[in-house]
Amino acid sequence: MANSNLTNLTISELAPMIQARELSPVELTEAALEQVDRLQPVLNSFITVLQDQAREQAKEQEAALMRGEYRGPLHGIPVGIKDNIDTGGIRTTVGSRVLSGQVPAEDALTVAKIKEAGAVILGKENLEEFAAGSTSNNLHYGAVHNPWNPDHIPGGSSGGGGANVAACVTFASLGTDLGGSVRGPANFCGIVGMKQTFGRVSQRGLQVTSFNGDHIGPMTRSVADNALVLQAIAGYDPLDPSTVPVPVPDFSELLGQGVSGLKMGIPSNYYFDFLHPDTEAAVRRAISALEELGAEAVEVSLPMMEYAGALRIPGMADSVVTHESFLRDSRDDYGPTVLYRTLAGQFVLGRDYSKAMKVQRLVKEEYARVLQDVDFLVTPSSPVPAWRIDSETVSIDGDDYPVRGPGAGMTSRCTSPSNATGLPAMSIPCGFSQDGLPIGLQLIGRPFEEPLLYRVAHAYEDVSPSRGRRPAVVDGS
Amino acid sequence: MAISDETLRAMIRDFHGFEISDDEMELVRPAIESYLAEVEKLRDLDLSGVMSSRLLRASEDTASHPKNGGES
Repeated sequence: MANSNLTNLTISELAPMIQARELSPVELTEAALEQVDRLQPVLNSFITVLQDQAREQAKEQEAALMRGEYRGPLHGIPVGIKDNIDTGGIRTTVGSRVLSGQVPAEDALTVAKIKEAGAVILGKENLEEFAAGSTSNNLHYGAVHNPWNPDHIPGGSSGGGGANVAACVTFASLGTDLGGSVRGPANFCGIVGMKQTFGRVSQRGLQVTSFNGDHIGPMTRSVADNALVLQAIAGYDPLDPSTVPVPVPDFSELLGQGVSGLKMGIPSNYYFDFLHPDTEAAVRRAISALEELGAEAVEVSLPMMEYAGALRIPGMADSVVTHESFLRDSRDDYGPTVLYRTLAGQFVLGRDYSKAMKVQRLVKEEYARVLQDVDFLVTPSSPVPAWRIDSETVSIDGDDYPVRGPGAGMTSRCTSPSNATGLPAMSIPCGFSQDGLPIGLQLIGRPFEEPLLYRVAHAYEDVSPSRGRRPAVVDGS
Repeated sequence: MAISDETLRAMIRDFHGFEISDDEMELVRPAIESYLAEVEKLRDLDLSGVMSSRLLRASEDTASHPKNGGES
């Protein structure tokens, strides 16, 4: 099989071939590394490429297969890891100059788990400096480019992962999501991104800025693949107090059951208040499609979202604490955007932090109440499609909003609430703007009900206008 | 709501904060203004009753839960 045909396949398609020994992990890894060689100059999606290690891992996985030790659907599958997740013995920069020489002693638990499942690590993926932003326009390692149009951002902060998955360089990537950094790139790159329930996946080994809402989550080209990757990384971690000791279900168990009889909540406020017209049209069409598939649409109201801006306050203070020693020792190594927003955090009063946490509690209660009446919520994943890399602002309804620094919360306003509530939320492709840039649909569910979200997403995936579409760069055109 | 540079500098001095030059203060200020604007929005929101003892009033009728096929 030609290499491009191999790299265009999904994990669900490849796994049976590998299990049956019709396809070698070495062959698959070589095909993926060819994509890396061809597309890294276009996308700049990696900070560190691990050719030699990937080849070694592929050989080990092939040997395991020959010994009859099949490790499951990720066996021999090339993946990427965002460069703020620890990899033992491999540089982990967090997209910063400050930590450009950091080499962790051991793997993050999620990395250990995905390797145990047989995955092959192709490299460490580019991101926004300190994962603090939604552009992946990295001052130190260069901007990541969107595979659908290299003049545009791939979203952030897990932009390298989003670009790699969309461009068929990796079959999955582990991103991280503190305000939408998995779902944003999924939206902008036209892939599937899951931010599972807070506590479902260990954060141990993630270089977190705040313990209040950060997640490591899977990015893939299909819903079924996403469930497979989450299966590999989910589970209680006794050494991470943020994880919850609940059973890990079969995340694929509800795939194929359709959406008939399910109630979907459509928020009447906040999520649809500021939208690019192409985004609104695509999301409304997706809601109609879900209705045609049998889901019942119910309008719901979330009045507390009027105060959603306050949810960012704890993060400001958390950030300055996280950066304290770096600011003391390496202040000149920061890019200005991260430096000045971080320094502002030192002025947050404890009283305001406490108020913001109470607002967070009220918002959580409100979502919990609404999700008593409906099975899941449907919203846009982002107010806008991907903007140009050189843009300083995005325009909605004639108003300009900054894409970096203060006020940039507009770009993540649809995703960040689920970091505060901890609810599972995922982005799936639902069409394109008139400029040919992807648009995402966000599904939000009850705590620990990821299987239901996958069920809905899988049903919609079959009828999505994005189905079967690939960026031109995938095939070299 | 505004806060003066003098107050910010006093906070840095008295609370062992990170020094900020005059030029840098201009670059930090938009994030501070954004924070203060959010705080201002909370001024009239009564948060005094938000306590851990206040339980969420959810339906206790499990049969009515949509997940169980009932109407809520």
